Amino acid sequence: MYADYAYLIVAMPVLAFVLCIFFGWHLPKGGGFFTVLATFGGLILSLGIFKEIYPDKIVHQSIPWFANFNVGILIDPLAIVMLLMVTFVVTLIHTYALGYMDGDPGAARYFAEAALFTAAMLGLIYSDNLLQLFIFWELVGLCSFLLIGFWYRKPSAAAAAKKAFLTTRVGDVLFLAALVLLYNNMASLNLALKPGEYLLQFPVIYAHIAQIPPTQLTFIALCLLGGAVGKSGQFPLHVWLPDAMEGPTTVSAMIHAATMVTAGVYLVARMFPLFYAAPNALTVVALIGAFTGLFAATMGLTAFDIKRVLAFSTVSQLGFMMAGLGVGAAVGVAAVGVSIFHLIGHSFFKALLFLCSGSVIHAVGTNDMREMGGVGKYMKWTAYTMLIGSLSLAGFPLFTGFFSKDEIIKIAYEYGVQINYLPYIMLICAATLTAIYTFRLWFVAFTGEPRSDYHKHESPWIMIGPLVLLAVFALGFGFFAQSGFYQYLDTNFEHYGVDFHALGVIGGHISEAGAAGGEGAGEPFIVKILPYIIAIGGILVAMLFYYWHKLDPGLVTSERDPIRRLLLKGYYQHEIFTAWFAETVVYGVAILFNLIDIKIVDGVLNKISEVTVGFGGNLRKVQTGVVQNYITAVVLGIVVLVIVIEIGMKVGL
Amino acid sequence: MDLGFYTPLGAEALLTALAVLVILLGSLMKKSGNLMGYLSLAGLVVSLGLVMSTAMSAKLGQVFFFNTISVDALSQFFKAVFLVVSMLVVIASLSRYKDAKGADEFYALLLLATVGMMVVSSSIDLVTLFVGFELASLSTYALAAFDKSKRNLEAAMKYFIFGSVSSAFMLFGFSLLYGMTGTTKIAGIASAALSNFAPATLVALIFVIAGFAFKMALVPFHMWAPDTYEGAPALVSGLLAAGSKKMGFAAAFRVIFVALLALRLEWYLAFAILAALTMTLGNVLAIWQNNVRRIFAYSSVAQAGYMAMTFVVVGAALGQPNGAAIAQNSIAGGLLLILGHALMKMGAFIAAAVVGYMVLKDGLKEGSDPDDISNYAGLGRRAPITAFCLLIFMFALAGIPPTAGYIGKFVLFGSAINAGLVWLAVLAILNSALSLYYYLRIISYMYLKEPAGPKISEPKGYAVALILTMIGVIGIGVYPQPFYNWAMQAAAVLLPH
Repeated sequence: MYADYAYLIVAMPVLAFVLCIFFGWHLPKGGGFFTVLATFGGLILSLGIFKEIYPDKIVHQSIPWFANFNVGILIDPLAIVMLLMVTFVVTLIHTYALGYMDGDPGAARYFAEAALFTAAMLGLIYSDNLLQLFIFWELVGLCSFLLIGFWYRKPSAAAAAKKAFLTTRVGDVLFLAALVLLYNNMASLNLALKPGEYLLQFPVIYAHIAQIPPTQLTFIALCLLGGAVGKSGQFPLHVWLPDAMEGPTTVSAMIHAATMVTAGVYLVARMFPLFYAAPNALTVVALIGAFTGLFAATMGLTAFDIKRVLAFSTVSQLGFMMAGLGVGAAVGVAAVGVSIFHLIGHSFFKALLFLCSGSVIHAVGTNDMREMGGVGKYMKWTAYTMLIGSLSLAGFPLFTGFFSKDEIIKIAYEYGVQINYLPYIMLICAATLTAIYTFRLWFVAFTGEPRSDYHKHESPWIMIGPLVLLAVFALGFGFFAQSGFYQYLDTNFEHYGVDFHALGVIGGHISEAGAAGGEGAGEPFIVKILPYIIAIGGILVAMLFYYWHKLDPGLVTSERDPIRRLLLKGYYQHEIFTAWFAETVVYGVAILFNLIDIKIVDGVLNKISEVTVGFGGNLRKVQTGVVQNYITAVVLGIVVLVIVIEIGMKVGL
Repeated sequence: MDLGFYTPLGAEALLTALAVLVILLGSLMKKSGNLMGYLSLAGLVVSLGLVMSTAMSAKLGQVFFFNTISVDALSQFFKAVFLVVSMLVVIASLSRYKDAKGADEFYALLLLATVGMMVVSSSIDLVTLFVGFELASLSTYALAAFDKSKRNLEAAMKYFIFGSVSSAFMLFGFSLLYGMTGTTKIAGIASAALSNFAPATLVALIFVIAGFAFKMALVPFHMWAPDTYEGAPALVSGLLAAGSKKMGFAAAFRVIFVALLALRLEWYLAFAILAALTMTLGNVLAIWQNNVRRIFAYSSVAQAGYMAMTFVVVGAALGQPNGAAIAQNSIAGGLLLILGHALMKMGAFIAAAVVGYMVLKDGLKEGSDPDDISNYAGLGRRAPITAFCLLIFMFALAGIPPTAGYIGKFVLFGSAINAGLVWLAVLAILNSALSLYYYLRIISYMYLKEPAGPKISEPKGYAVALILTMIGVIGIGVYPQPFYNWAMQAAAVLLPH
């Protein structure tokens, strides 16, 4: 029954968007309650649908759109957990935003764009075909652009929005290429489709992967991965994500932590059978993911902007999720469950951390951690909910992050045993660094003495409430949901009869799928307890430096230390990507093209338009306004037509 | 007599009766408010319902009155277009002609013009076709002069003289055909051996084309259009561009494709020249205009050029081995463009009417032009609903997805390429690019220039009509499949089986 109204999950936020943009200006809080209610309605519907389809049903609705395409809704285990997570987290963030955006003159615009974003994100999740997914994918990209540049009068915000848009665009083009390639390959199979089946529908794709040539599969998979890398901020397209923190903090929490950036991971998970069948594709996924995880964690260590630390941490955690999918080469489809579980858990605690930091920024009035200090004394709720989020992110035992991250590290080890230890090593290092930078953040901001003069007050309840709810989930979700979650997600591709064994043969995966089920029987003891050690050890290290002040960071590094400078400069990425590559190489080429454009192309075009316009100018004198002339033209026209056609027929046209 | 047999013609009967009723009531009542408008609107809505229900039913293909009227998928498609256009005119008129003197005559003439167009779209006999044509023409001559200003009268006069001359040509062409074949039935002409009568057939063909081309406003038969669209009341201009122009196509489709199929090569060549000339000159001339209604007029001429491509593509395709499918696709594309253009252009003229109303409120300076593009400066802030809708219509006219204008062009240009007419498709696409120049110019005035006056409250009738039209334009663009299927079904009527 709820499933019949599944379309409302997208329709309601769209309605909220229309209401906010047209009427929000006249309503208190910019009409934000429309957006909250619409998203909350989506949560209720999603819960209803979950109750109906759990544990072994899926929802699939589809109507023809035009030509060979359809519009449809596909809610399987993978989609429903994402729907539940997004509607839940986003409802809380919208509620929080009611307090956070209060008094901003653009509040109506904010809530309108946020509602549109929500609609697009939810549409992306339950699309039943790749084209529709791509359309929503572009739409979330647009909303992200609009919301990063929300304070568009601020030059840095406008620049960040542009950077995000252009960088993700690189990925989007690759995604589009994958779409075209996949469509052509599917079309060339000359499938006899039943009524209601379309080439780009996921069930149809899953059923015919094995018939596509393996090299083509690898091409498609790598192009898709390109899209995912752009959207999920993976190396080397991660550069936009830290800058995207110029938007309001609620936007950072919603788009750049909990939902949109996970779309790339979701895409790879959704297309997992294709990646599995494509030779070498998952290896690339694993290496990019693990490298990004480590790379971003090192940068998180040195940032001073509280939101940038969290942004680097997001990039790093997204790397974990990608790596989790990539090591599916060894453990098979179980990787999807593990990776998505981390995705969901991460959404809870990262949204929590962002909202807490927003709360702090709201009070202190700066993003710089060096000017905070001792905030915990005045903002008890914020401090303790943030502590829960931090423990979860650091992977402290029994917190959500522990269960989800530990599992990824475990399957990465298994991947190491079978194939290659590199991802495992990088992930272990990244996890250690995660614990350190997280608690560096918490100790510096919340403990010690105030280092600047700020408003010492707690945020209003409308902002605290969502924090508490999120904290509950960051604390308990992992412990209570883990095993059921894996079981449920493992059935996802069974609904479509995907034969992973056959696909693995194409992809060249030696092992049997599903080996991860055994509780790590063959792992050495040290591998088992390593996650405990790194989590607690990392926190202790952070305490030594930033809480007890037993050790001074100056002892370990100094201003001239090359590694420190390297990290502070973010591996000179700005110098390499922006200053050198973009501003020298690309700009130089652009100048050259520009010259050609101005001198030759524009020259010709100007000449053509001069001639055209001049022609029009002369022609218009024919239109004299005297009826006699008009009739003459008609008669002349008829005579000319008769003669021309007569001659044409004679000549034999 | 079994009245039930005639139910497929119920819409025409209802509108005719309603027109008489409106006139009668109007002469009896002193002050009628908007009663006539609402009556007409109700009649049109019911008629649209009747037309659609026949279009959906299996009774299509029935013929009436001694094989002169046919109710088939094609006729119902055109009737739906005409009815929608008239409905929009009526809704907008609710603001314009409230309590106006002679409002009853306005609505009655509008209804009769609609009936005339509907008769034309159903005619399978040259005589009924001509009668319908004249009914629609005479009603619109009167409508064009309705506000009785000097500009109105000039516009109507030019329209009338031009129309009469064209009717004369058309009638002359018809009589030649009758003389050669001994019948006025379209099917009869198709089966007669026309080739015995060359070269008189060619003269007959060109005369018939000239008669239709006047309504379709193809170059060089277009010259009345800019003057009339500029001078007539804006809503009437909308009716002419969106409705009566399409009547020319409805008539030409049947006569050219069915009756004169034997002269395929001749009309193929004629329309290749006319279509290429029309789209190019229409766009080039539009660039020069400063009067927005003239821009719309020339844009309408250019759009007629795109629509006339249908004839060229069908002419080329039918000579090819598997041409029937391409021909069907091309007619469907032409029909989609006709449907889309009816909405977009009607909407554009309603927007022009709002601006005219706004300028009048500002107090028109002596000798200045109410439709000058400078009056559109800052419209985005002065009349936001109008400006936004007009923005959508401009994009749609330029053929930008997802709008109705895009779908029609896509299908039609695609069929041209499939038929091997790449030069024509390229010309049409270049022309579409050229047309962006003047569409964007209007948009830049609306949104980038400082407003010249305060915000106005947009009259409700206009606003409702604009929003409905905009929803239609976007709706067709987002979900084109049912409209495409319908157009394909209508196109099948015209092709030999």
